[in-house]
Amino acid sequence: MKRRQFIAKGAGCSAFLLSMSPASLFGAWSAKDFHQCSIDQAFMAALGTSAPDRSDKITIVASPVAEDSSVVPVQVISSLKSEVLYLFVEKNVTPLVIKCTLQGNVLPWFSLNIKMKESSTLYAVVKSEGRFFMTSVNVEIVAQAC
Amino acid sequence: MISSIRVLAREESGIVQLKVMIPHQNESGTRKDEQGIIIPAYFVREGSVTLNGEPLLDIELGPSVSKDPFLQFRFPGKKGDALKVAFLDSRNELFAAEAVVQ
Repeated sequence: MKRRQFIAKGAGCSAFLLSMSPASLFGAWSAKDFHQCSIDQAFMAALGTSAPDRSDKITIVASPVAEDSSVVPVQVISSLKSEVLYLFVEKNVTPLVIKCTLQGNVLPWFSLNIKMKESSTLYAVVKSEGRFFMTSVNVEIVAQAC
Repeated sequence: MISSIRVLAREESGIVQLKVMIPHQNESGTRKDEQGIIIPAYFVREGSVTLNGEPLLDIELGPSVSKDPFLQFRFPGKKGDALKVAFLDSRNELFAAEAVVQ
């Protein structure tokens, strides 16, 4: 790559990154939603209710037995009209793992790897037309990795 | 400082599958080192994705996400669509990348 091309590329790149300053991009990370507490308190803080209705239109895909507690693959799928997706791990020190606000036409689906302190119930909660629905699965940890 | 992340977006039958990998140690703040001193929390906290300039996703993450967070999402789109992905960690370091749907 010639020097001039390199500089031009660098300039374009920094302009893009400057246009994405953190202040304009990010909302306030809700510290209260992600504090260390029990699952009931985490539900109350994040959802304002400790008992969302159960729904069979939400699915959590996770292996019932996880070998490595530091990398547990989890997928959440919803067939409800979803605005916000949440994933909670009951026995983790901080139960709320992810809060995902969907805009545009994003499909109510996500996949990620999570850490689990011990065998626990996972809860997926969906906000649909102002109401909360949830489903749960149990994941058993065989070997403690951390 | 701005660190880079890996972003892959592939379209199939009108649906784009987006994969984001952030190289990050993602310390939860509950682990102890060999001396028994708690390793301070240090993790990716929030992120956003835009498609052709339109907001697509707002993501908030807790400390229970695995090391080197690997996130996947799906949305309708086509080849050539422009994605911008940015994440911020608990020390306000920015992780950002641009990608084109393939």
